Amino acid sequence: MENNSFKGSKILLAEDEETLAVGLEYNLTDEGYIVDWAKDGKQALHFFETRNYDLLILDIMLPYFDGFEIAKQVRTKSPQMPILMLTARTSSEDKVRGLELGADDYMTKPFHLEELLLRIRGMLKRKHWYKTSVELSPVYRFGKNAVNFENFKCKSGSKEFELTQREAMVLKYLIERKGKIVSRKELLENVWHISTEVETRTIDNFISRLRKYFEPDPDNPVYIKGIRSAGYEFVEGK
Amino acid sequence: MKRKHSLLYLIIAFVFAQLAWLALLGLWIYWYVTNYLIFEQVGNPLSPQLAIDSPNVLIFVLGIILMVAIEIAMVLAFRNLTVQMKLTNLYDNFIGNVSHELKSPLSSIQLYLETLSTKEVPIEKQKEFYDMMKRDTDRLKKLISSILEISKLEQKRIAYDYHIYNANDIIKELVQGSANQFRLSSGSVRFEGSADYKCVIDREAIQIVFDNLLSNSFKYSPKEVDINVKLSHNQKNIFIEFCDKGIGIHPKDQKRIFDKFQRIANANVPNVKGTGLGLYWAREIIKFHGGKISVFSLGIGKGTTFRIKLPIYKTSRNIYVNSLLRRTAKNQKILESSDGE
Repeated sequence: MENNSFKGSKILLAEDEETLAVGLEYNLTDEGYIVDWAKDGKQALHFFETRNYDLLILDIMLPYFDGFEIAKQVRTKSPQMPILMLTARTSSEDKVRGLELGADDYMTKPFHLEELLLRIRGMLKRKHWYKTSVELSPVYRFGKNAVNFENFKCKSGSKEFELTQREAMVLKYLIERKGKIVSRKELLENVWHISTEVETRTIDNFISRLRKYFEPDPDNPVYIKGIRSAGYEFVEGK
Repeated sequence: MKRKHSLLYLIIAFVFAQLAWLALLGLWIYWYVTNYLIFEQVGNPLSPQLAIDSPNVLIFVLGIILMVAIEIAMVLAFRNLTVQMKLTNLYDNFIGNVSHELKSPLSSIQLYLETLSTKEVPIEKQKEFYDMMKRDTDRLKKLISSILEISKLEQKRIAYDYHIYNANDIIKELVQGSANQFRLSSGSVRFEGSADYKCVIDREAIQIVFDNLLSNSFKYSPKEVDINVKLSHNQKNIFIEFCDKGIGIHPKDQKRIFDKFQRIANANVPNVKGTGLGLYWAREIIKFHGGKISVFSLGIGKGTTFRIKLPIYKTSRNIYVNSLLRRTAKNQKILESSDGE
């Protein structure tokens, strides 16, 4: 086992297949994580409400509440919780739905153990990056907008609203690289930590949502500019 | 979603086509009637010969027949198309369920193999992992053979091994066999009543039916499994009822549960595994025995009862039951002669 700086992180594993869950629990524990195994959606939500976790691994086809429902409920209570969906469902609709509901990553069964462990570590690393960078300066202002990256509460003029965790991460990533072009691929790899062919549409959806929140005229953006066939660029404005 | 839309377009196209045909039929009748009236009024005074010959009733009738025929053809084509779409939908369901059922044990086996090859696993854990892999391979084996058996069943290629048994004895023995397979405690399955009559069954096939029924009770009972097996009879048939205290079935779903690839979506379901083939398989097997299977449930949370009706030997469906025995005897003869060679 390599030196894992995230040892001791608490993981909730929601999986109804006993044989798979036992193997996953063994490997995650071997990596130094503390694992709770929930056999169905009801138990997973109960564990989530009563205990603290650093990451959630959710199967989609779970009894009582499916993985989508759990992700949705988790997101309303804990917008920053990293969620990995681990499922036999491979359709791009399922992937897009999972990611839009707030899953941070999506892996299909059967999977490679090493890849799974790397992705988990990547998610914990991103959570750490987000947490530490937010602690330094939780509120960011541009134009008439103010974004609190800690609780995702935003103000745009007199309008007040809340971002989802994913929206906040995309915005934060763009802001940290202001003045530079960020490609969709880069966003996928560093914010979603995935590299598949289907999700560019998801990125564009997120950008268009962010523009609706913060741009005075979303059709002619001044802060989040689209660079044809290259990606997006955050410009602080005047 | 796309399929739902295409069905909607189909229905709209169909309704428009119907309206067009009806309008054409109306026009056709209107044209004939007005022409006929003109001939009546004008033709007779001008030329009596013309008035008699011109409004040809035969053409009018043929026109209507033709249009009605096209209409019927359209209805049939539409019906066929909707059935096809329903089948494709069910097939997609099946593929989704089967891929889940195949991928889950496969992922687990892959996980254990990768764990064993990359990590130093203690001996006792290794043993546990091998046991888990064996469970998964058994599950895969069962799933694959059930898919293959279904196809055999549909082509009626299964050589059933029908024999005469005492219903009381064989049913209790087979139910007990299924209960042991699911490691149900002795108190979980209780017997009630009696059916001391002879019946003709293929024990392996009936075992599959009982396995499926008990597996369903097991899967859909949130708490302890509690199954009451009631045996009874009338003059012609024996009845076997499996009553459980599981989550029950909504009345509107009860008709569909024996359909192929059908799985009922229910948020209260404590288990989501399955291919949607088990009850279809059970129904087909019982049908082959000359019997019938039905389901009854007062609704969600009120338990389920599956009722199997089998003909009593030499009392009901004699010709059919004897043909099953003859087929078995014939098969046995063929097997014996091939063994002798």
